[in-house]
Amino acid sequence: MPVPIEEIAEEMYKMVVECEGKRNLKASDLTKAMIAKYGEENCSKEDCKKALRQLMDSGRTVYSYFGGSYVTLPKKEGAAPD
Amino acid sequence: MSAQPAKRITDIGPPHYEKFLPPIIKKNYGKWLYHERIAPGVFVHVAESGDRVWTVRAGSPRLLSVQTLRQIAALADKYSGGHLRFTSRNNVEFLLDNPDNIEPLKRELQEMGFPVGGTNNAISNVVHTQGWVHCHSAATDASGIVKCVMDALYDHFTSESLPAKLRVALACCLNMCGAVHCSDIAILGVHRRPPKIHHDALRKMCEVPTLIASCPTGAIRPATVDGRQSVEVIEAQCMYCGNCYTVCPAMPLNNPDTDGLSIWVGGKVSNARTAPKFSKLAIPFLPNNPPRWPEVVDAVVNIVNVYAANARKYERMGEWIERIGWPRFFELTGIPFTRYHIDDFKHAGLTYARSTHIRM
Amino acid sequence: MAVAEKIDTPLLDELEKGPWPSFVTEIKKARQTSPMCDDLLGQLELSYREKIGHWKHGGIVGVLGYGGGVIGRYSDVPEKFPRVAHFHTMRINQPAGWFYTSDALRTLCDIWERHGSGLTNMHGSTGDIIFLGTRTEELEPCFQELTANGFDLGGSGSSMRTPSACVGPARCEWACYDTLKLCYDLTMTYQDELHRPPFPYKFKIKCAGCPNDCVASIARADLSIIGTWKDDIQQDDDAVAAYAAEGVNIQKDVVDRCPTRCMEWDGAKLTINNRECVRCMHCINVMPKALRPGKERGATILIGAKAPIVQGALLSSVLIPFVPEEELEETVKELINRVWEFWDEHGMNRERIGELIQRVGMANFLDAIGLEPVPEMVSAPRDNPYIFFRTDEEQA
Repeated sequence: MPVPIEEIAEEMYKMVVECEGKRNLKASDLTKAMIAKYGEENCSKEDCKKALRQLMDSGRTVYSYFGGSYVTLPKKEGAAPD
Repeated sequence: MSAQPAKRITDIGPPHYEKFLPPIIKKNYGKWLYHERIAPGVFVHVAESGDRVWTVRAGSPRLLSVQTLRQIAALADKYSGGHLRFTSRNNVEFLLDNPDNIEPLKRELQEMGFPVGGTNNAISNVVHTQGWVHCHSAATDASGIVKCVMDALYDHFTSESLPAKLRVALACCLNMCGAVHCSDIAILGVHRRPPKIHHDALRKMCEVPTLIASCPTGAIRPATVDGRQSVEVIEAQCMYCGNCYTVCPAMPLNNPDTDGLSIWVGGKVSNARTAPKFSKLAIPFLPNNPPRWPEVVDAVVNIVNVYAANARKYERMGEWIERIGWPRFFELTGIPFTRYHIDDFKHAGLTYARSTHIRM
Repeated sequence: MAVAEKIDTPLLDELEKGPWPSFVTEIKKARQTSPMCDDLLGQLELSYREKIGHWKHGGIVGVLGYGGGVIGRYSDVPEKFPRVAHFHTMRINQPAGWFYTSDALRTLCDIWERHGSGLTNMHGSTGDIIFLGTRTEELEPCFQELTANGFDLGGSGSSMRTPSACVGPARCEWACYDTLKLCYDLTMTYQDELHRPPFPYKFKIKCAGCPNDCVASIARADLSIIGTWKDDIQQDDDAVAAYAAEGVNIQKDVVDRCPTRCMEWDGAKLTINNRECVRCMHCINVMPKALRPGKERGATILIGAKAPIVQGALLSSVLIPFVPEEELEETVKELINRVWEFWDEHGMNRERIGELIQRVGMANFLDAIGLEPVPEMVSAPRDNPYIFFRTDEEQA
């Protein structure tokens, strides 16, 4: 049974919230985690891409950059804190 | 994040290039027969149809104001049917279907302060990075040194008197956001001290495992500082690449007292004659001396002059040095050979002299 | 907006002297319309005085939904120079071959004057149009004006970077395939990978029409597509003789410079042994009216170039010696998909594809992407006898 995109997005979002401040997640980390959770037959790379895009287009997550691109929660202003 | 507007256009990509091609280019697309040089900065391409298109090339400072871009656009309207292009080395090119426009266009470009040239055996424009104008990891400025070097090499841009083409590039740190590692002469900003660790900031914004993994020599290891988790740098193992700083802003390594420049020579990208090659170290360190960087300018001019006087026709810098040998290069240029010239990173042994082929 | 104040920049003023066009003059010109440029000059003068940059890491800025195309930049002395407290760069995907109409250029200028500093780079090192310096709140409106006018952002971060191409068949007789078309098609096919970084690190694609490689693809592109030909060099004997008559020393400047010594000149006729030719372009470069690349054209595909960060600089190396032009787009796309899949699976953070191949070995990489090894891939077979024989193969 394919997992609905919304559900994948929700699971991804939970993972981003849990890892916030502890671990930087790349898009591929989320994809690999979702495939491990649901199995490739229920949750394809393409589905994960769609789910991630949903999260990004809604503004619930954003891409950050520190020597690589990561998926994080939005900050009020993106300056490197000091 | 602001509310999403009703109709937001994304993922359209760049405009299709065909929209911007001059009619003569569209007509003869893929049907060019040959080209000939007319003068420095000017050449003509001849098509199978017999059509001719004349190109006038001018150097730019790369950093361009919208005011200047509008002037350039106006020149295109006046002389090349409202069409123009840029080259991979920050030159601007006007493609003319009427050769009568060459001289007036050249005159106007020169009046604007834009030199016409950069073709064939000239020094073309410098590919370079942002430096202090926009970069956080710069060991030096970029545009400023390029300006000073090109002031000194100006006549080599506007004439074609060198043995072969000569490509100069500048990168303001080892990240090398420009093809400097395969240039005839590369000017490279260098750091020479390990990063300073801002432990409080590090805890707030950096992921320690990623940070440790970022170091190509394994010089960063976990440490407890003031009773709290952080990292330390084994300074003897640090080669100042700045990779840690890129992944963790709490590891800055910019240092006004010790940052500076190095000069590399003999690289090329083209496959003509010899295979593409990396630039090799000529001068390990020159001081940062704004605003005119005289030491860097003198060093580059010296290398260009020695090359121009000694290389044979069609020999690029690296081909010339391979023929005469590196000892002779150092002798002719008067550049001291030091311990820093001997590689000690990966594959270092490949650069050791493994024969008795020595010019005595 | 008129220029509001006099800014004292004695060091930068030194860079308005001399014949080469000055970037300082450009920044001063842009002050007419952007007060940001006043503070940029101020901060840059401070850098010149102190010999250190004053920009901080970017972090998290961008336009909604994209993870690329904006480089965040903040001043570390915003109290002194508040108008460059934010000074973000936008990368705008250039048209293939960097062709413009004056109208398109003016449209870009108008947009950037409304939303940023009015300073640009034409172009950045990867090929994008660079809009240099704006505030966070201007990013989204600027982006929307750009897309409304047919332009879109380029790549940054761990994304496919904006592909670039040489002038190609638009104005070069040596183009062995349509670099502009391939560049455009790849850019359009991989819009998602360009805008939403999915990779361990950056991935650059450069399309060069011939082995002269005017876009430096062999030095800079993870995937280098360099035009070449399979049949004989097209030769016009009369034109060769004309070059000789004009004073070209065919023996010294052409024949003796040939890397494989595959040609002979008897004083009247040039004879090329095309079987021995490595398609270096030298003879063609010297005599473009007399010699041309062959008619059976296509490209060599190479992989893995990069600058030093992290494990050292690499040049691209041969993956497919020759792909005919008509098969090029399909072959490249299929190859890209396989390469990305392998990289996605095995690449470490900030590991370019060239470094990954070095780490796992080219042979393993070839197995994974389903390519047969051919001798064109190496400069020489191994001289090292430590061979990892596969246990699943018959012992020879």
